[in-house]
Amino acid sequence: MAYKHKPTFIEKLAESVGLIPDLHEDYGTEIPSLTEPGDLTKFPPPEQWDDWTEYEAKGWGKKEKKTYSIVPTTCFNCESACGLLAYIDKKDNSVRKFEGNPYHPASRGRNCAKGPATVNQLTDPDRILYPQKRVGKRGDGKWERVSWDAALDDIAARMRKALQEKRNNEIAYHVGRPGHEGYMDRVLKAWNVDGHNSHTNVCSSGARFGYNLWHGYDRPSPDHANSDFILLISAHLESGHYFNPHAQRIMEGMMNGAKLAVMDPRLSNTASMADYWMPTYPGTEAALMLAFAKIILEEELYDRKFMETWVNWREFLRAKRTDLDVTFENYIKAMIEAYAEYTPEFAESESGVKKEMVVDIARRIGRAGSRFAAHNWRSASSGNLGGWAVSRTLHFLNVLTGSVGTVGGTSPSSWNKYKPKFFDNPPAQKFWNELHFPNEYPLAFFEMSFLLPHFLKEGRGKLDTYFTRVFNPVWTYPDGFSWIEALSDHDKIGMHIALTPTWNETSYFADYVLPMGLASERHDLNSYETHGAVWIAFRQPVLREAARRRGEKIEHTYETNPGEVWEEDEFWIELSWRIDPDGSLGIREHFKSPYRKDEKINVDEYYQYIFEHTEGLPEKAKEHNMTPLDYMKKFGAFEVEHTAYEKHLNVIPDADMQGTTVNEETQQVLKDGKPIGLMVDGKPRVGFPTPSRQQEFFSQTMIDWKWPEYDIPTYIKSHIHEENMDRSKGDFPLVPTFRLPVLIHSRSGNSKWLNEIANRNPVWMHTSDAKNMGIRNDDLIRINTDIGYFIDKVWVTEGMKPGIVACSHHIGRWKRPQDETNNRWAMNTVKIDTDGDGKWKMKTIQGITPSNSDDPDTARIFWQDGGVHQNITFPVHPDPISGMHCWHQKVRIEKARPGDSYGDVSVDTNKSFEVYQDWLKLTRPAPGPNNERRPLWFPRALKPSSEQFFMEGGPKKKE
Amino acid sequence: MNYGFVIDNRKCIGCHACTVACKSEHDVPIGVNRTFVKQVEKGVFPDTQRMFSVLRCNHCEDAPCVTICPVTALYTREDGIVDFNNNRCIGCKSCMQACPYDALYIDPETSTAAKCNYCAHRVDIGLEPACVNICPEEAIVSGDLDNPESKIAKTLGRHQVTVRKPEKNTKPNLYYIDGDLGSLTPNETVKGDQTLWGSQSRGVGHYAKYAEKVANKNKQIDYDQVNLQTMLKEKVGDTVATWAGGEGESCASGRSSADNHLDKALKSNDARRVYDTPDKGILWGWEVSGYVLTKAISAGVMLLLVIGYFLNSAFSHPFMTIRIEAIWTAIILGLVFLGATGALLVKDLDQPKRFVYVLLRPQWNSWLVKGGYSITIYGALISLFGLAIYMEWTLVAQVTIYITGFFAVIVAIYTAFLFAQAKGRDFWQSPTLVFHMLIHSFMAGAAAYMMVDAFIEIGISWNYFVNMVMKVAIIANLFLVLIELTITHPTTDAKEVAHMIVKGRYKMLFWFGSIITGNIIPFLLVLFVENTWVTGFAGLLVLIGIYFTEKIWIEAPQRIVLT
Repeated sequence: MAYKHKPTFIEKLAESVGLIPDLHEDYGTEIPSLTEPGDLTKFPPPEQWDDWTEYEAKGWGKKEKKTYSIVPTTCFNCESACGLLAYIDKKDNSVRKFEGNPYHPASRGRNCAKGPATVNQLTDPDRILYPQKRVGKRGDGKWERVSWDAALDDIAARMRKALQEKRNNEIAYHVGRPGHEGYMDRVLKAWNVDGHNSHTNVCSSGARFGYNLWHGYDRPSPDHANSDFILLISAHLESGHYFNPHAQRIMEGMMNGAKLAVMDPRLSNTASMADYWMPTYPGTEAALMLAFAKIILEEELYDRKFMETWVNWREFLRAKRTDLDVTFENYIKAMIEAYAEYTPEFAESESGVKKEMVVDIARRIGRAGSRFAAHNWRSASSGNLGGWAVSRTLHFLNVLTGSVGTVGGTSPSSWNKYKPKFFDNPPAQKFWNELHFPNEYPLAFFEMSFLLPHFLKEGRGKLDTYFTRVFNPVWTYPDGFSWIEALSDHDKIGMHIALTPTWNETSYFADYVLPMGLASERHDLNSYETHGAVWIAFRQPVLREAARRRGEKIEHTYETNPGEVWEEDEFWIELSWRIDPDGSLGIREHFKSPYRKDEKINVDEYYQYIFEHTEGLPEKAKEHNMTPLDYMKKFGAFEVEHTAYEKHLNVIPDADMQGTTVNEETQQVLKDGKPIGLMVDGKPRVGFPTPSRQQEFFSQTMIDWKWPEYDIPTYIKSHIHEENMDRSKGDFPLVPTFRLPVLIHSRSGNSKWLNEIANRNPVWMHTSDAKNMGIRNDDLIRINTDIGYFIDKVWVTEGMKPGIVACSHHIGRWKRPQDETNNRWAMNTVKIDTDGDGKWKMKTIQGITPSNSDDPDTARIFWQDGGVHQNITFPVHPDPISGMHCWHQKVRIEKARPGDSYGDVSVDTNKSFEVYQDWLKLTRPAPGPNNERRPLWFPRALKPSSEQFFMEGGPKKKE
Repeated sequence: MNYGFVIDNRKCIGCHACTVACKSEHDVPIGVNRTFVKQVEKGVFPDTQRMFSVLRCNHCEDAPCVTICPVTALYTREDGIVDFNNNRCIGCKSCMQACPYDALYIDPETSTAAKCNYCAHRVDIGLEPACVNICPEEAIVSGDLDNPESKIAKTLGRHQVTVRKPEKNTKPNLYYIDGDLGSLTPNETVKGDQTLWGSQSRGVGHYAKYAEKVANKNKQIDYDQVNLQTMLKEKVGDTVATWAGGEGESCASGRSSADNHLDKALKSNDARRVYDTPDKGILWGWEVSGYVLTKAISAGVMLLLVIGYFLNSAFSHPFMTIRIEAIWTAIILGLVFLGATGALLVKDLDQPKRFVYVLLRPQWNSWLVKGGYSITIYGALISLFGLAIYMEWTLVAQVTIYITGFFAVIVAIYTAFLFAQAKGRDFWQSPTLVFHMLIHSFMAGAAAYMMVDAFIEIGISWNYFVNMVMKVAIIANLFLVLIELTITHPTTDAKEVAHMIVKGRYKMLFWFGSIITGNIIPFLLVLFVENTWVTGFAGLLVLIGIYFTEKIWIEAPQRIVLT
């Protein structure tokens, strides 16, 4: 219903004689509406995506029109990879905005704040556009622009030499956010390098370990939308894997009557929305879960059919209760006895959650039955010594209720995640890098990445070539000063190459900083367990695709990216090609096109192969008269399976059944004496990838690996348990791990729209604690950790559990005066001093300040407080079993002392090293049975060849 | 056809996606928002909750911003959308005073007013607003309220809903399911310059230029010498003062008082804001108080002349004579201060070059237009009257003087009607404001004559008349102030303003600046001293007093937070 202003006689006259500009001129034909008035639709129809005209909001007064090419890609701010549609202005080939992609099965056209904010990152006035090479000492902050050729040749030559000298273990690739499916594993295997290092052990490996012990899958995929009761040890209505897709479905479930319960000592937005908020004392969650379990057992609310079939209860009774007959009834009895102490009263005394609520929730979980959805993402499992017991006891509830893999229940992640087929699969590497998987941590679920500086300090090895990619340990990891020390030491790290779209604290200590594309400037394949389906999505460089649509021939993504910004996919192909110029290292062959003989593969071909081999995609593409690759370029996503549940019931293929026997009592299908499945309802079913093919209530693995006390789900008292606190001295457990809905670690500092919403991180403290300590809101406090302290402001609130403090980790970014201006919406300027012997001081000398740039908004910055960097004052706390860094810690809080300033940080890395050694003492090192480095059935990132799984001397049979 | 919104608070998770999608769609500069999610916490642990409220333009059926806009830059479309055209906007900021919901801002890029326009540019091609599209929870429902088959109409039909400030009679077309009183009522919580995750230390929107000033200073920092805390303090000190009103202590929310409130809030279970957008500052500053004063003088001198003339000609035995000096004083001061009035009005515009739009793109319901034309006609009439006096066209002068007098009254009082159109400001809704303006005009006119008389003798009887007017006007003024501050304020916000003036942050300015300096002392001087220098000085005090009063009357109501 187009509006037309009717001018008064005076205005008409004034315009006609030219006294004032004519604002009533004809602005041309109106754009036809897609719908009848009042009936609005969400997105332009895909037929018009190549040539879509709409009014420009900013020129609305004059009905300005813009014509776009609409190209899908996926967001790269968090891990969810939600769909985005880029609106590319056909006039100047710039991205005007991002909206959601309605064809993305997980995000369904909707996004969180970080999706549309991607456009800020593209136009960030401080982004790195050209390769930079260090001048002067590492960390001096001086850089010169170099060509990609020079950088690639330099790095490739160095790596070639290392590989020729069999120093394969001196090459490492350390990634923060992978954002792809399997790409790097292929590259590293092609190099024959056990060089994958990830951030997972500061993130999620605690929970992964607990889940894995049960059923060989390391993450949950709750089917929130169809559930009756949702239990979150997470804050999925604002953060986490996978915030937006999960938040949509949690709400869908709630609107359909599901109840939501949340454990969190802090009133998260999620806790605030919950029907039940359980402000638990951090680290006591497992006690609560076992109390729920006990009630479910005693009140017979469990799913007998599922448990009887799918739990390895016979093993348990035989090993632990030889006094009892092996019957299911006795199993229940034995469990009730095993968990006798977990009364509601005990749960309350440990966790602080009222016993009435404990009983209420337990019954609701029991009643929800197979429609019980649960998730533990980070939170307690990432904060506490023994945090993995939290997810283990949580999954126990799924097992009890028979909600494993059901509609409305909780599936293993892999059931809802697609495994792509690659054009070439290099053999597993023939190395085991003990810098990543040291023998002290045989069960560590991922690489002990956060101990790397200490391992280097101990002389366990060194790195010749060290790639960091979307990875900022100096800032994100605990103990950042130890990282600075390691990164500054040329003897320990020969060359550090930072692959990043934007400057960050770690890149200040690199030799090369190589600019890589943002979400819409790169290729990646995504697939995540967001709900009871399986999907893939295609992250693609949208300007490249727009150029292709215009008929331009583009060979490399950097041709359409700004400046000389590359994408990693092409970087690794090019680098691998140069490492092995003559093919003698056997690397080149893995980077040859499957479509053009002996020629270097290009990125289109790489994905072409995957899409051609994705079930159902070629057929779907054919319906649109497209190739699978073109279909993905056009729609950006594909649903491989619309529903995906109960895959443990899949029937074992006949071929695999050759030579099998069935154990009559357990119904296990045995091959070579080992279970490969279970006979259920007369058919051989695959079951779960555990030694028993069942859900392992009882874990022989834990016994074999010297942790018999944890053979069944247990509650492990955290290192921050109340009994370790001296309240009279100001001790508090600090919860430093929570996310905000608008920020994402160090990847969002370059977005103005996100940082204007959140830019400081005060310490949350309950009113009563503040009162006791004589602290007022906004007062400065000194938070003492075991290795130093930081000075922050206090946020006094009723939304925090008394006796606990919390501080978000997204905020407190910094640059030194000598560093390039970057992320100016988020960066404090700091002065760092060291005595050269481990004592470090950091002082914030300037907050966030308006300045001039290509973006006029930098001059309009209205905030000054850029928060405080807390993580750098944390020592490492490696869990001796899962290897997870236990983020929570005891801190001693006092009022700021005279001379303390907001943002001050002080650390002694000698103390960090001592804390590391203390925690190292808790380990029970390999070998395990048969001289194994690690249980053979455990998944491992970048799994090496099988002989590598044994320590020196190879497999040794039990004597 | 009537587009509206339903915000479903059962589903809103406070993720700010709508905020950012809107920023992206409209390329909204930082610091200002067309929509945002206010967050309020309430309760005592563990029975606490954080409430999320999406706030934005309500697309009111009776939109005060449309009524007050002098140039039809804001308008209501046939489909109910309240849209705007920034090419027409002159940046007078009256819409920002009129909107009870604080939905508008000055875009620092264009220096024009802007707000949520329901993505009219999308709606016209059949697309949902950007915020509706992005919302992960589908908590924002759009659609035609008039169509019973629409999702929004069905939703409204089946749920209990609330609107913001129904008492303003704007008929909002934005409804909340599970709307929270503590969040939707502005004065339930205190607005400070710090929220949980953010803080404000510089101006935004209209005041973004002050942040830009800092950017352009390009001060070299001696990193060894600087202590961030003292720096923060200094900068907050001077910039907060600058962004809020450009005048010393005028921080819109008043940091210290907010802190006190915060402490108070923490001691009880009062609701508390934990996310809010930056304060846009006081939008009508000294230019507007100044313009009210100059206008009062301009109108006042003519008013006195006309009354004097009327009295003179109405009674056969004139008890006073009007000397030509008095006439010329009226004409010259009338014109000079009218010119100053115009200059201040133009200066206050964020788009000063477009000032003629008020006259040439008139929106007749706006009192800015009525006032603008009145001023123009008034100026023409004074000029004609002056010409008639100069040319000794007696008949013309006799006729013109009464018409001029009529327009002097309008010029004196129209601002009261303009302020009444500023529906966002409860304190300005007082019916006494007309008399307040008129009396100030008499005082200002009398004061002007007194000051002129110190230099040029205007005549004893005229002085007697002027003194008489002054004494009566001051008494009337004091009486009126008493009424205005005591009995005429039915709303909490207006009461809060009255409190601010009498006992709060304006008490010194009010009691010493307005009452004592501007009324009591000059009254006593005029009453007891006959020296022309002294009465001239009394006149000066009256003018200063009027300025202070207007400053208070204009500034204080703008300190009331509307969201």
